[in-house]
Amino acid sequence: MDKMRIVAGTILFGSLWGFSECIIGSYFHDAGLPAGAIMTGVFAVGFMLITRLLYRQRGMQLGMGLVAGMLRLFNPFGGCFICSAIAIMAEGALFELVWYKISLDFTELKKPIMTASMGVITAYVCFVGGYIVTQVLTPMFSSAGFYLENLIVFLPQILSRGLLAAVLGGIIIPVAMLLKNIGIARIRDRVYYPTTVAISVLCWTAVIVNTLLILEV
Amino acid sequence: MGKEKLIPILALIILLIGSSSTIYVYATQDNTNIDTDTINIYNQHYTIEQIFSIAEPRIFNDLNYSGVALDDLIIKVGVECPEYHTYTITGEGGYQKTVKWGNMQNGLLTMEKRVVFTDLPKAFRVKGVVKIEVI
Repeated sequence: MDKMRIVAGTILFGSLWGFSECIIGSYFHDAGLPAGAIMTGVFAVGFMLITRLLYRQRGMQLGMGLVAGMLRLFNPFGGCFICSAIAIMAEGALFELVWYKISLDFTELKKPIMTASMGVITAYVCFVGGYIVTQVLTPMFSSAGFYLENLIVFLPQILSRGLLAAVLGGIIIPVAMLLKNIGIARIRDRVYYPTTVAISVLCWTAVIVNTLLILEV
Repeated sequence: MGKEKLIPILALIILLIGSSSTIYVYATQDNTNIDTDTINIYNQHYTIEQIFSIAEPRIFNDLNYSGVALDDLIIKVGVECPEYHTYTITGEGGYQKTVKWGNMQNGLLTMEKRVVFTDLPKAFRVKGVVKIEVI
């Protein structure tokens, strides 16, 4: 596939993911719901798998994580935004690792048990891995520094919270696999590029305007 | 072992890890008889009212938080040479963060037992503080 198409797709889906984290994730967080597990199990894993299915390009999900993480940095509300941005970027990298050995035509994932299992593995690894990475890196970037004992004490909580993400991932990946036969390459350039740019701009504008509105209040 | 066997086994192991961790977390929360009415600071128990009566107030207008100054609190509970120690703050759920004296000078403890720092990310905000350990 044309590299420009992949770059545009990375920015589009990364922006959609970041928008979901900032707007929907903040609402979940404010409502007292387990926002992290829901966002990883449904949105992060869902968006990354959809792009893997549509574009069949390795490395794209890492790029999406970087775009979504950058967008999360623009929204300093709903929990620790630096931690969230780091976690999102880590999730993109972890998705790439988990799916590295899975072929791009998904021949291994014909049976429902295989898709559900991949959903469980992907969501759990992304959630727990992202959480651990952020617990290590956030203190390192601060003046307090990182203390291993703080992570070890909290590890059972992290492993426990990942269970919901795993269950959600086990449901969302078999559903997302239904999009396997959609051919993104069939969309004409004059439709594809304006659409991707417009939606991406809309996502970034919505997050930035939302941030400015909250700051004014 | 082929992928067809390995992937479901890995998923099952993950579900077992998640489930057993959840059981462990709930079991330890039920079994630990944590006194949530007081905060253990430097191995002594204080009620939040006592803390507010001994330490200087501090307000973070930008963050909309008010409480008592953590550095003053540490001095008032009798810690000597506070700048040479680190401080581990533990919340009800076991979440804990270790900070330096410089951070304590930019931190406060609210009436709701939450610590907030102006110089650290939100990840360092510990809710339901039960212990401040001096190391």
